[in-house]
Amino acid sequence: MLKFIIRRVGAAIGILFGASLLLYVLVINSGDPLEDLRESNAENREYLIQQRIEFMNLDVPWYQRYWDWLAGVGKCFALQCDLGTNRSGVSVDSLLALAASSTLRLVLLATVLALIIGIAIGILTAIRQYSGLDYGVTFATFLFFSLPVFWAAVLLKEYMAIGYNDWLRDPDFTLGQILVIAAIAGFLMQVFLAGSLRRRILTFAVTAVFIGAALPTLLALGYFREPRLGYVGVALLTFAVALSATAMSVGLKTRKVLYPALITAALVSVLQIVLVNVFVYYMNWWIMAAGLALAFVIPWFIGHSMGGRYKGTAAGVSMTTGVVGAGLTVLDHFFRSWPGFLDLKPRPISTIGSQTPNFAGGFWETALDYGTQLILPTILLTVISLASYSRYTRASMLEVSRQDYIRTARSKGLPERTVIFRHAFRNALIPIATIAAFDFAALIGGAVITETVFGWKGMGELFITGLDQVDPAPVMAFFLVTGTAAILFNLLADIFYAILDPRIRV
Amino acid sequence: MRLKRISMAVAAGAALGLALSACAPTDAGDGGNGEANGGSADQSIAVSIGPNDFVSYNGFTPESYSTYNSGIVDRMQAGFYNFGTEGEIIPNEDLGSYEMVSEDPMVVEYTISDDAVWSDGTPITVADAVLAWTVQNAKLTSGDSPLFNSVSQDLGDDVPEGPQGDPAGKKFTVEFAEPNPDWEIQVWMLHPAHVVAEQAGMSIEEFVQAARDGDAEALAPAAEFWNTGWHTNPGTLPDEAQVPVSGPYKFGSWEAGQSLTLVPNENYYGEQAANDELVFRFVDQGAMVQALDNGDLDVIAPQPTVDTLSQLEGLGDAVNIHQRDTLTWEHLDFNFVDGALFADNLELRKAFAMCVPRQQIVENLIQPINPEAQVLNAREVFPFQENYEEVVSASYEGQYDEVDIEGAKAIVDEQGAAGTEVRIGYSAPNPRRTDQVAMIKSSCDQAGFKIVDAGNADFFQPGGTQERGDYEVALFAWAGSGQITSGENIYATGKPQNYGEYSNPEVDEAWGRLTTSLDESVHLEETKNIEKLLWDDLFGIPLFAHPGLDASASDIENVEGTATQDQIVWNAHEWHRAE
Repeated sequence: MLKFIIRRVGAAIGILFGASLLLYVLVINSGDPLEDLRESNAENREYLIQQRIEFMNLDVPWYQRYWDWLAGVGKCFALQCDLGTNRSGVSVDSLLALAASSTLRLVLLATVLALIIGIAIGILTAIRQYSGLDYGVTFATFLFFSLPVFWAAVLLKEYMAIGYNDWLRDPDFTLGQILVIAAIAGFLMQVFLAGSLRRRILTFAVTAVFIGAALPTLLALGYFREPRLGYVGVALLTFAVALSATAMSVGLKTRKVLYPALITAALVSVLQIVLVNVFVYYMNWWIMAAGLALAFVIPWFIGHSMGGRYKGTAAGVSMTTGVVGAGLTVLDHFFRSWPGFLDLKPRPISTIGSQTPNFAGGFWETALDYGTQLILPTILLTVISLASYSRYTRASMLEVSRQDYIRTARSKGLPERTVIFRHAFRNALIPIATIAAFDFAALIGGAVITETVFGWKGMGELFITGLDQVDPAPVMAFFLVTGTAAILFNLLADIFYAILDPRIRV
Repeated sequence: MRLKRISMAVAAGAALGLALSACAPTDAGDGGNGEANGGSADQSIAVSIGPNDFVSYNGFTPESYSTYNSGIVDRMQAGFYNFGTEGEIIPNEDLGSYEMVSEDPMVVEYTISDDAVWSDGTPITVADAVLAWTVQNAKLTSGDSPLFNSVSQDLGDDVPEGPQGDPAGKKFTVEFAEPNPDWEIQVWMLHPAHVVAEQAGMSIEEFVQAARDGDAEALAPAAEFWNTGWHTNPGTLPDEAQVPVSGPYKFGSWEAGQSLTLVPNENYYGEQAANDELVFRFVDQGAMVQALDNGDLDVIAPQPTVDTLSQLEGLGDAVNIHQRDTLTWEHLDFNFVDGALFADNLELRKAFAMCVPRQQIVENLIQPINPEAQVLNAREVFPFQENYEEVVSASYEGQYDEVDIEGAKAIVDEQGAAGTEVRIGYSAPNPRRTDQVAMIKSSCDQAGFKIVDAGNADFFQPGGTQERGDYEVALFAWAGSGQITSGENIYATGKPQNYGEYSNPEVDEAWGRLTTSLDESVHLEETKNIEKLLWDDLFGIPLFAHPGLDASASDIENVEGTATQDQIVWNAHEWHRAE
């Protein structure tokens, strides 16, 4: 394995070197770096041109410029990277750090979401092959896939930002709108839950009536401007999660699982009240992360120690309860901060930027600000990359389901869930791993348009501006990161293969 | 079986959630969360002039000098003059006054207001003018290159002695080596000398002395700081003590790639800014209109296209649209290089001018953006300037107002030039220029020319089409800078911007008279003279002034477009949100 990795890394460095040389030459020959000055009739135009030639070393041969750049990169091995400066004399190192952090924020969430949702859709459509759901979801994902990003972005801004903000000023639904929303929700619900015609009609009716009643109630309560769960709400929902998770895994009669789940729920319900001051006054990202870790660890411990022969399941159910409960508590605090946030930012969803300039809120308001700024680009990036994940998962699942070992597993009498997740899905994941690895590397560089239309200064922006100004340093910095990421993720995918598939030996 | 359980769980959860929402506490925000204090200032105004990030407090180096950076630093640096919206020069009486005390030798006396101070309280003095002169003095060198890496390098030659006066005083005189018609727009106030001197480890007196002595060695540390000391990494503003300002605004905060905020300079000696906060956001032009609609931006400078205009018009009363001509103007220039088709053939140039559909170009391409646009009939003055009519009537008889295919065809036939290829070169891609060439082609082909669209990406590049001379007519624009003398570089023999190598001794002489005179009536007479010579000789054909398009939310008062390169933010200190 080690030898394999070393060989691959060696080849990777060779490829990066060759590609960097090629790219450098292509970039410096891609246009005229003095273009903007040539049409200027400032009286000192000649001088400005001369200064820029000197500053960008336009008068030295290409191999020397490349060598200068390479020498700067070489210093990275001594941990003193010097990626040069851009045309305005700004250090590319600092530009790259900023661009990479904002792109990662944008891309990481979108990729993870796309991966989870895409794979879920893929499994669902594979299980219900050739159903209405299958056709509908396939149609929708392909529709999203083929959306031109800039156009979809404009639509998102128009309806989800401008339209939503206008609506939020005084939230209201007409009767017709309520009926339509209820009907759509009912229709979607029966598509997802499926079953016999009678069941479908029932599902539709129940959902539609529920939504039809819920919307006016929420409006009357001013829920859209002042949402809330409250202590009681969080507690009851957490207990509901504990009960339903138990019911879905082993059934409510299995006390060894039910009790730890209920204890976890009780713990969450107590802690959310006890720790309220921490949440309100002392919250920061470290506490949040530590809390999340504890929400995993403590329930695991409870489940593990009380579960007896069901300890695996009990730990799983308790952890689910714990994490969802903690999540609900956090959600509750976001809800509580929403009215204050609306005072600070009356139009919450903005169309540009990664944060509101000079935003003055506390932890919760600032987090809401980041979230509301992130929501549109994330939706866009997620939606357009759903298609590939869901289609690959579906195809891969269908292929695996036809294998002999799946039939064997079924004939052994294993529950369908075990067959699908343990036997089929695990094997179906292998091709997905490759695609996800490639995709992530591509997304880092590929969010150019999304970044531009939403006013994020990320990697794509670095690349496109550099190329536009025939300025090699930023373009090469972009290349270093994306090229390295592509190679690294491929390597990871190869290693991941070996873990997933025992047949692969390296 | 399980499906039933799932549906039940979902239904139960939903019902529960709904029921609970009713009994939740109604007092939203429990204590600490509600620290919202009304939020950002009501008089916070967000503006975007483009996607480019801020670069440096010192926007006077070639690297940091750009319209985007100037849009920000010009709000913080006062000068002795400002440009009005039509390119006219308006003295800035807040900072001080100036008058010409002698014409030959040409001496100008500047008086800095007594109450003019930097934002840190230090009085603005003659030493600051000495700094402004020093950085523009190319005689100070370090090796082969100028000591101060400044965009402007000619004050050292123009004013050899620099500003004369007590460095700590408020009055100084400058003596020009030769009369300079553009004397009013020389830059005598840039950066705080006391900061530069301190950073260089000198006293102000030492600095001024070294500058007047031309002692490059002693000034080296000062130059080092001036060249690089104010250039910080994105998102990091220089230490406040290093960046005192002389204008109505000072730095607030900078979020790299996102926004830069200016706040009023409370020590400003002129009228205080009418708003509490000016937020420059770095936004792509294509995203500006929706951002304006959503209230993310209050003032925008989007791309002046028909599409942008119709989007803005779609927003109705919520926005004010500011349309106008700018000082950038489009023109067709003939190639006069030896052997070129039009070089020695005035008749053929006339024929070409007769068939160019100028009116149609303006009507189809420009008026949709600026309904008041008209065909441009001059090169040195613009339709919105007061002496335009006078100059045009003295220099141009309207002979090319109407397309005259028959007349052009007669000349072409007479010259035996029927079917001659005319390559119109421009820097591509540029859809509007492609459209113009297409219109010229459909008109001039009827007259017997064979117009070829020779637009390509390397038109202006070294070794490109323009340099090789592989064109008959060049189509491009000049950006006017408000200078009186800059045209000499374009029209006089052997000058660097005279791309077509046009040469006419009479034009050269007229420019010589213009650039050495300080008399405005001489300027006007010579401008008329030059315009007439250029029309008679058909140096080229002016087409139109580029349209400018800005927009602002309708509750922001005092926003006004400008023709100059100062952009929409030129009077940002007067912007005010209506109560």
